[in-house]
Amino acid sequence: MIPEKAYAELEKAIGADNVTREPAMLDSYSWQPFLNMSGELWVARPAAVVLPASTEEVQEVVRACNRNGLKLKALSTGWGAQGGASGDDTVLIDLRRMDRIIEIDEKNMYAVVEPYVCGGELQAECWKRGLNTHIVGAGPHASPLAGATSMHGCGNDSISMSTSSRNVLGVEWVLPSGEVLRLGSPGSGAGWFCGDGPGPSLRSIMRGTSGAFGGFGVFTKVALKLYHWPGPPTVESEGTVLDSTGELPECMSFFNCSFAGEQDSVEAMYRIGEAEIGCIQVRMVTSEFILLIMPHLFPKLVRKGGAILEFLNEAMASPFTILLAGNSPGELAYQEKVLHEIIRSCNGIAMDMSRIGPARRLMGMNLLRCTIFPTVFRFGNMFATNLDGNEALDTQNAWTHTMEGYKSAYVRAGGLIDDGGENPYMINYENNLYGHCETIYLYDHRNREHLESLEPLGFDTTLAAIEQCNVPLAAFEPVTRKLMSPLACDFNEWQKKISAAFDQNGVSDTRLYTDEEDPDYDRIDPAKLEKLKELQARFRGKERR
Amino acid sequence: MMSCVRCSSCKWIPFNQMKSARFAKNCPSIARHGFHSYSGSGRVNMGLSLLEGRSELTEKVSEVIYSCQMCGACDTHCKVYREVIDINDVLLELRAKCVEDGELLLEHMAVIDALKRENNMLGEPKAARGEWARGLGLKDVNTETVEVMFHAGCRFSYDRDLWPGVRGSVRLLQAAGFEVGTAGAEESCCGGRAYELGYRGEARNFFEDMLARVRSSGAKMLVTACADGYAAFKYLYPLEGVDLPVEVFHVTQVLERAVSGGRLRPGRLPCKVTYHDPCHLGRMGEPFLGRWEGDKRLRLRSMSRTGKNGVYQPPRSVLGSIPGLELVEMERIKQYAWCCGAGGGVIDAFPEYAAWTAAERLEEAACTGAEALVTSCPWCERAFLDAARETGSPMAVRDLNELLLEACGESEGGDP
Repeated sequence: MIPEKAYAELEKAIGADNVTREPAMLDSYSWQPFLNMSGELWVARPAAVVLPASTEEVQEVVRACNRNGLKLKALSTGWGAQGGASGDDTVLIDLRRMDRIIEIDEKNMYAVVEPYVCGGELQAECWKRGLNTHIVGAGPHASPLAGATSMHGCGNDSISMSTSSRNVLGVEWVLPSGEVLRLGSPGSGAGWFCGDGPGPSLRSIMRGTSGAFGGFGVFTKVALKLYHWPGPPTVESEGTVLDSTGELPECMSFFNCSFAGEQDSVEAMYRIGEAEIGCIQVRMVTSEFILLIMPHLFPKLVRKGGAILEFLNEAMASPFTILLAGNSPGELAYQEKVLHEIIRSCNGIAMDMSRIGPARRLMGMNLLRCTIFPTVFRFGNMFATNLDGNEALDTQNAWTHTMEGYKSAYVRAGGLIDDGGENPYMINYENNLYGHCETIYLYDHRNREHLESLEPLGFDTTLAAIEQCNVPLAAFEPVTRKLMSPLACDFNEWQKKISAAFDQNGVSDTRLYTDEEDPDYDRIDPAKLEKLKELQARFRGKERR
Repeated sequence: MMSCVRCSSCKWIPFNQMKSARFAKNCPSIARHGFHSYSGSGRVNMGLSLLEGRSELTEKVSEVIYSCQMCGACDTHCKVYREVIDINDVLLELRAKCVEDGELLLEHMAVIDALKRENNMLGEPKAARGEWARGLGLKDVNTETVEVMFHAGCRFSYDRDLWPGVRGSVRLLQAAGFEVGTAGAEESCCGGRAYELGYRGEARNFFEDMLARVRSSGAKMLVTACADGYAAFKYLYPLEGVDLPVEVFHVTQVLERAVSGGRLRPGRLPCKVTYHDPCHLGRMGEPFLGRWEGDKRLRLRSMSRTGKNGVYQPPRSVLGSIPGLELVEMERIKQYAWCCGAGGGVIDAFPEYAAWTAAERLEEAACTGAEALVTSCPWCERAFLDAARETGSPMAVRDLNELLLEACGESEGGDP
């Protein structure tokens, strides 16, 4: 229960209509089953939720929290458990009223946006100006500001437009003290064009190892790098996702590429990166697509004809989809020629899906706006990923097999839904700078058995990550962070020092930023525990050497 | 309710349809009030909290539940990604729960009291219900057998500003050769709005009344000019097990056939208009598809109300048949349309919020360059007329039937 004095101060700061402590309304912020790896469905009910409309109002709220010993946590669209409060003394700062696109600078190719602008909105505005913006793999409902400042933010278009954290050109940040700090060129009043100045360049401090997930003040504006858009100002599309109809813009085509073997597929991805072609590129597995378009048929296939799926997965080993976009028919023809040459040399087949009417109409807009991927919810009700890190494509490819081993064991035990394959989501960044892979597993969060498998699966995959020298992005979980930090340059010790320096009253809800928790050792298989100790000793030793 | 993953899709129009940031949002409730609990997802989450006993239904929660036009936009976008959630049904249940627990809004209680007393949503005298039709030469379905039973609906029956539209509907039907009758003063509310307010017992009485009248009329077709009525007949009645023994049409569907069949021949009417899809004729007017038994994850797409089977093309075909008329579309159309603000009892309980919602739509209409906003629902028309007056918007608001009548060179006969 929030103290009366504190609540009155919040009301005074931003108006009574913009503050609530009504339990049912607060619970609408507590229902967070997605990415809730604890197996719980509700997170803590916050003390209050506030709706500031400006940077100044955010400052007022932060100061009120400081004065009253309350924690604070900001959220934008609030999808996933990371958007919830950690305790009942936390004030959630819902940034929904800060939803303005402040500026789109066509000449210098950047946009300045507030937290509640979603990727779809920004892209729609960019297209009208011949520009494009990166949309995270989670989909166009996610906040570009959140991805850029507080999370990771990879996506299907990362091959051409990188990842959110690398597109930041300037930030306005309300620190946990309530002061405003502007990073990058806006810090010197020089405009929003460069993340490294003139002005303070504090991008690493702002993000830490994988973003502070709302646990380090409030980001109120961000400047994002924009890219060239060779398509028209709008793309007409009707229907929803699976029955959508819309034409692919001129000078664009997309291909499904499949290979004799998975190494061929990885090699092709490398070469595509080197050739600097492609607007969108993403690897998904055959069975997942079948599942999406035929959910009623899929369980029968798995139950009665698993071999068919196995055959399809083998026959189309490690396929990926690539969308090419040219400024002219000639440029598109060049890119297609390069693609065919690469695929041929890698023992593969590139099927031009854009020549197939239904596929073109179905997939065009869904690829360009990244709208099809959240349909992964359709069958299982819920999905989770191991949220792997960013490494070379080879490393990431190997990781899919590791994950498949764990995943299939849990599927066999009834802890996950059988989706018929590995289902890695694998993309290439910035023409081969690095790659990213997440293995998707489907479950139904209404099923207790499924929920109970999440924690042990998370522990298993963390163990595997340590063994393979991977740093999972899921280091935002306190347990994973505690296990991983000592093995990776004690990154969390640095984060804690930074947090303490900027947040002297400890006002931020730091559960997903710096907090650490021990795993429930009583529930862990002793053999796995032994393995953990062995790995910790091995890698700590290496680090010391 | 547990299936909601809180992705927030329910707050925007489907992303593939997004053409600008200005008109990207789909839910008036959260756009106006801000807290997540005012969205489709938030109401579902609150419902689960109530169901699990984590929180209680209070006056404030009831206010949140009723600050919703029941426009169905949240459900349409949710269905893009999910088969398992029917947000609209959850919203209906929440309202029924409010009534069951006595957490009522005074404004709605007054409306329901008047409905029980006068058989209409406006509290007007029931004896005056048929006055709009004076001089039209309509048959009396209470005493005569008719081919077409015409249901005017409460708003059209009593709102004199809108009489040219409803009288125009009838004139056009007659001009197209239909033999039309009404129940006159005996016509009563369809009960749809009462059902949406959660007053199911009262609504059920009106459903039964309508069923009896339709049966006795001998009509083959039930035609209504009211989008709310249309949605009630097509969805709520069968949902409650009330099967009307007639084909149900919105008047625009019949007029589309009349125009395409050459029974109506509109003349030249140079103007530039945009069309507003009424929610209850569009996504909320989709027919009841039956109850899906078993795991909803496996529900066939054809059994899912996705919004795409609403009445969208008939009004556009009618407008397209008028020579010289240019139809320019807004960004949010068909199943993605922004609501007029009047629905779900909002116009009664929260008139300012209703006016704000309508004003948003008028702005969107103005962006098309149209000189008039055309619609085919009396509730929408009233909401837009009021908002235009309050905001000083120069946008003319026209009823589609009135426009077609003018193009056909017919007259609705003037004020009765």
